[in-house]
Amino acid sequence: MSERAPVRLAGVASGYRRRLVLDGLDLALRRGTITAIVGPNGSGKSTVIRAMARLLPARRGVVLLDGRDVRELTSRDIARRVSVLPQAPSGPAGITVRELVEMGRFPHTGFFGRLGVSGHRAVQEALELTGLADLAARPLDELSGGERQRAWIALALAQGAQTLLLDEPTTFLDVRHQFEVLDLLLSLRRDRGMTIVVVLHHLVHAANYADRVVVMEGGRVVADGAPSDVLTVDLFTRVFGVAARLFIDPESGRSLCLPVGRSMT
Amino acid sequence: MNEPARHFAAVMLAAGAGALVLFVLHLGLGTVWIPPERVFLALVDRAADPTDRTIVWGLRLPRALLALLVGMMLGLSGALMQSVMRNRLAEPGLTGVSAGGVLMAVVFLAGLWGLPAPRPFLPVAVLGGAIAGCALVLLASQRLGRIDPLRLLLTAVIVNALLVSLTSLVMLRSEYALGSILPWLIGSLNGRVWGDAWIALPWAGLGVPMGLLAARAINLLQLDDDSSRALGLPLHGARLAAFALAAGLAAGALSVAGSVGFIGLAAPNVARVVAGADARRALPLAVMLGCLLLLAADLVAQSVSIKPPIPSSTQRAGLPVGAVLALFGAPLLVVLIRRSVR
Repeated sequence: MSERAPVRLAGVASGYRRRLVLDGLDLALRRGTITAIVGPNGSGKSTVIRAMARLLPARRGVVLLDGRDVRELTSRDIARRVSVLPQAPSGPAGITVRELVEMGRFPHTGFFGRLGVSGHRAVQEALELTGLADLAARPLDELSGGERQRAWIALALAQGAQTLLLDEPTTFLDVRHQFEVLDLLLSLRRDRGMTIVVVLHHLVHAANYADRVVVMEGGRVVADGAPSDVLTVDLFTRVFGVAARLFIDPESGRSLCLPVGRSMT
Repeated sequence: MNEPARHFAAVMLAAGAGALVLFVLHLGLGTVWIPPERVFLALVDRAADPTDRTIVWGLRLPRALLALLVGMMLGLSGALMQSVMRNRLAEPGLTGVSAGGVLMAVVFLAGLWGLPAPRPFLPVAVLGGAIAGCALVLLASQRLGRIDPLRLLLTAVIVNALLVSLTSLVMLRSEYALGSILPWLIGSLNGRVWGDAWIALPWAGLGVPMGLLAARAINLLQLDDDSSRALGLPLHGARLAAFALAAGLAAGALSVAGSVGFIGLAAPNVARVVAGADARRALPLAVMLGCLLLLAADLVAQSVSIKPPIPSSTQRAGLPVGAVLALFGAPLLVVLIRRSVR
């Protein structure tokens, strides 16, 4: 690859105090693509996201953002390159959507700076992209789950980074709101050329929305490639321990692998 | 200006006007009542009635200024602590500053030093106790140099209980010194002079602008750890700095007024209800409400005099302001919170 990867992990070992979750992980993102990370609970998906943004330090190996070692970057430099939506973000009671999204400008304003014209523009753009412009003055805790998730995405967008990492953004949403979030990601990749990594539990979403699927198990990458190549009946059995069948979508003609559980085999 | 900004400007203006009125009333009230227009003249006109000028400048201005400064410091300190601990029950006392400072004051006043304890060294002892108190809270709560909000909160409550219990033990051995100890425990502005105002001024003059300017970072402290760090905040350093600032403000207030409670809890909570959770608005309003509250309470304290319930005392004295604060503030706060917190 001649172009520098927006994010590259090379031989990364990382984890928590007594437990190493990742041990020698290699992964490079391609610019302007959506990468879905899937895998069973505890396989290290969140740890990968956290290591990419230096929320968790790598004990061995290196994490490179646009070719630069994260250890040599300031927190602010990192925040300008990569924005993160954690699994369970939380904000103070009563904060309004706009106030929350304005926090996304912190890497640009710093401790004492003002939002400025470009800041206000970025905040407004983020609100409009996420369809929240009309709800901007509402308190975050009065929104529906789907709207709230979009507000957190808007915060990440206002940050202005070209790479967006999302940890299970659809998990607590009903099916319509899940698609809303995924469609938003698709438009961010298409219209802004953003590089997106999204941890997903629903493999069907991964199949439909990702350019690339990375399957993790026990802190290692066990499969990596185009969704149709990776998400096979064999993978479901091997990694997730469930039976699956291959379906053909009559509309698009694409093949789709769906889990059916043990009882239906 | 958009709608919330206009609303906020109106609120700040109203609070500022309220504080000004209370300030002038505070200067007028005392053994001799001086009407507001004469207070104003005495303040600005060198040729005004010399008696008025002596009373206003020499006796009342330092105390009113202190009420203003201490209120501001405690309001801001409480707001900072609520962000650091991500908990609306947090208040300046949880820095350990007042419990530590009061313990040392009591030890000093009870003569447990063993050595002769000249009065001018009292503030030094208090400051030492304050620093030791907040250092104890920090050291006991940190792990690997990191401060977790919940761990900090629990540790602070426990350390406070320990220091208060030690204070009680010391007091049991020295009932004769109760008269000079009580104002430290309750918080009082009685008999404060310019010297005290000069002690408070640098704490407030440095601490308050610093806290207000850091509102953006304080905002991020209210998010979950990963979100704030992903936004580029050096989280543990910021948390430590905000705690240190809150402790400094609390120490400034303590050194001149003793352990004044309630304001540091009430002002930030009312500010949140009125101005929302965004620190860029909640912090300035907490500062404003802090001084409004303390001026109002001290106005009451000043105008009611009692004979202190101490055997040796014969003189009547004003009420300690700490004793009336919650009395009038609490019902107000309850109403506000009932209306706004679901």
